[in-house]
Amino acid sequence: MTTTPTSAPRPKRSFRLNVTYPTMYLILILGGIVSLLPFLWMFSLSFMSVGEMMLRHVLPSHIDFSNYIEAWTNANFSLYFRNSIIMSTVTVAGQLVFSTLAAYAFARMKFFGKSVFFTLVLSTLMIPESVTLIPNFLTVRALGWIDKLPALTVPFMASAFNIFLLRQFFAQIPDELYDAALIDGAGHFLFLRTIVLPLSKAALLTVTIFTFLGSWNALQWPLIVTYKNTWRPIAVGLYSFISEAGPELQLMMAGAAIALVPVLIIYFFVQKQFTEGIATSGLKG
Amino acid sequence: MPSTPNRLQQRLKHVTVEEGVPLWQGLTVILLSFLVGIILAILAWNGVIGGAHGFLGGESGPLRKMSGLGAALFFWIVGFIVVMPSASYLFVIFSKGRRRKHWSETFQAYLFLAPAFFILLTFGILPVVYAFYISLHRWRVIPGRYIKFSNYIEALGKPTSVLIFVVGVVLILATWLLWGTYVQRGGSSKLKHTPSIVWHIGRWLLILAGLWIAVYGLLGMIHTGDDQVFNSFLNTIYYSIGTIPLQLAVSLVLAYVLFQGLKGQELFRMLFFMPYIAPSVATAAVFTTLFTPRPEGLVNRLIGFFGIPAQKWLFEASPINVVIAKLVGIHLPVWVGGPSMAMVSIILYNTWVFFGYYTVIFLAGLGNIPEVLYEAARLDGANQWTLFRRITIPLLSPTTFFLSMIGVIGTFKAFTHIYVMRVPSALGTVDTVSIVIFDQFFNATRYGYASAIAFVLFAVILFLTVLQNHVFGRKVFYG
Repeated sequence: MTTTPTSAPRPKRSFRLNVTYPTMYLILILGGIVSLLPFLWMFSLSFMSVGEMMLRHVLPSHIDFSNYIEAWTNANFSLYFRNSIIMSTVTVAGQLVFSTLAAYAFARMKFFGKSVFFTLVLSTLMIPESVTLIPNFLTVRALGWIDKLPALTVPFMASAFNIFLLRQFFAQIPDELYDAALIDGAGHFLFLRTIVLPLSKAALLTVTIFTFLGSWNALQWPLIVTYKNTWRPIAVGLYSFISEAGPELQLMMAGAAIALVPVLIIYFFVQKQFTEGIATSGLKG
Repeated sequence: MPSTPNRLQQRLKHVTVEEGVPLWQGLTVILLSFLVGIILAILAWNGVIGGAHGFLGGESGPLRKMSGLGAALFFWIVGFIVVMPSASYLFVIFSKGRRRKHWSETFQAYLFLAPAFFILLTFGILPVVYAFYISLHRWRVIPGRYIKFSNYIEALGKPTSVLIFVVGVVLILATWLLWGTYVQRGGSSKLKHTPSIVWHIGRWLLILAGLWIAVYGLLGMIHTGDDQVFNSFLNTIYYSIGTIPLQLAVSLVLAYVLFQGLKGQELFRMLFFMPYIAPSVATAAVFTTLFTPRPEGLVNRLIGFFGIPAQKWLFEASPINVVIAKLVGIHLPVWVGGPSMAMVSIILYNTWVFFGYYTVIFLAGLGNIPEVLYEAARLDGANQWTLFRRITIPLLSPTTFFLSMIGVIGTFKAFTHIYVMRVPSALGTVDTVSIVIFDQFFNATRYGYASAIAFVLFAVILFLTVLQNHVFGRKVFYG
């Protein structure tokens, strides 16, 4: 497991299955259909009118955005959407600053108690969320953060996983670069800002996407720290909509699509780096 | 994966021993931070800081709600995080030369670590202490009286039964591990003893005895404990056993095919990965409409195409084997057991979400297998199946091991999709442990009891991790 962080799963052409090409493509296409079908079904339902829903159509007769408009305006999805955007952005920003600083200290600085502290950080990976949920809720309530933005963002502004991931990247930057910077009179902070960060764009991107997705998709924690709609993110909004909506499937699917689309857009832009990030961090984390 | 932190720690140890601040000075800073933290904690505990009467508290102070152990832990963290860099800055001022350089670096490092440490300590590590404290109390929204281990006894049943169960498990494990070391020593030919038949019989008798004791204890626990808790553990086990092998098999096949480097494999990889990144509330909502009991649901239409009558899916509480037996005309009684039809629907959902992730990691694993091995084996006349069986599978075992470990922990922690997909008519057959914990906390507002179950879950996850590392981890072949 001594691969470099950027090494992709390289397909090799030299050894082949004894199965013919059509069979292999058949397997892949089957997998592709299975992973796509629920999404297509969702979009298809979201464009249907109530009548078409009743008549058990599989496809809508025409593309009609009225469900989206209704979910966006009447079902508060515009508010949820805005909340989620703000919440995810703030969390990502905090994560990038705090985890980067900590990871840099662990990667390139000499200080007393380093190994003990690092073990302490890694130990948080073992603790299940169920254990910390109740005390964290009590802490946040005592701080008066219920129904406020800090409750949704601050607890997720540093994570052991991201610190570990970034540390691995930072540790690979050659020492000579730091020595050169030192001769030019730069300290740790300047070196981090001008040399380390530009060199670790891939790692920072991975951290950004992981954190954004985690924040955007989270349900359990936002559910318990928001009583009112003011700061409810889209996952909670969608969940409460599902548990109240009842038979209005087409609206529910439009809501689900609204929650999904930003994630899909981001994914299409960065999917290559993302899958590579998973492949390497998965093996290392 | 398990080897990485250890190797890392060794390297780190090497670095700190090499050169740095003197031990006594470093310890002074840490101890001072500890002490100031403890003083602040005692002040907060006694209501001098925060709370209804203390500093920054009172009627309208920002810390008026800070009281009890929560406040004490919080102020301990504040003290620790603030004093550590400050105290080291004093050493920067009062040291000279080389030592000053080391102290200045340590000071900067503590500053760099402070924000992340503050968050990780407040929301990651010390909550474990707090949760244990809560679990020893009757605690419904506000703290109640101290009731020792009553919450644990209510969940798990009589302490004697729990003790008998633990003794049984320890006996099995001890026999297993001691046998492993004995055989290894015997095999290295330094010892003359090769295990005789008597040893084999003895070992199996011990394991059987352990098993019998454990089952006896477990039955006692189930009899006196909370049915909901034991059912939730059973559901979680069904969920793990149903999910992990299915996911591993599906994604191994897909990764193997993708690895051949066909045209358009990038596109397929992207498609397979979509379910993993999509918000699980949204996809779970879609799956509730797919696995609906109505005949017009997509899955019911699909099985109707093969002539199978419409099923109730997520709304079906009876076990899958009973349902299948009914389809072919056999009436099995419900006590036969097995995961419910609703649980099977959730297992299928879970597989749909994670197969892309597993495939990508298997692909990376396949890329790490040296090509030379295949060439050598082919020269020796091995066929495709033999290559797969004798080279790919063993050399992929670290990846498989990693994935199954992730899978076990993941299924024990799973929450969002089950919470969205559970319906009352599934009669609690999909409620895994984390769902029951959340229910007890959020809906029943029994904070103490929920924390106690959470600690049981924590213990089980720790046990499984250690077990996987020590018992199954040995069989893994690390190149």
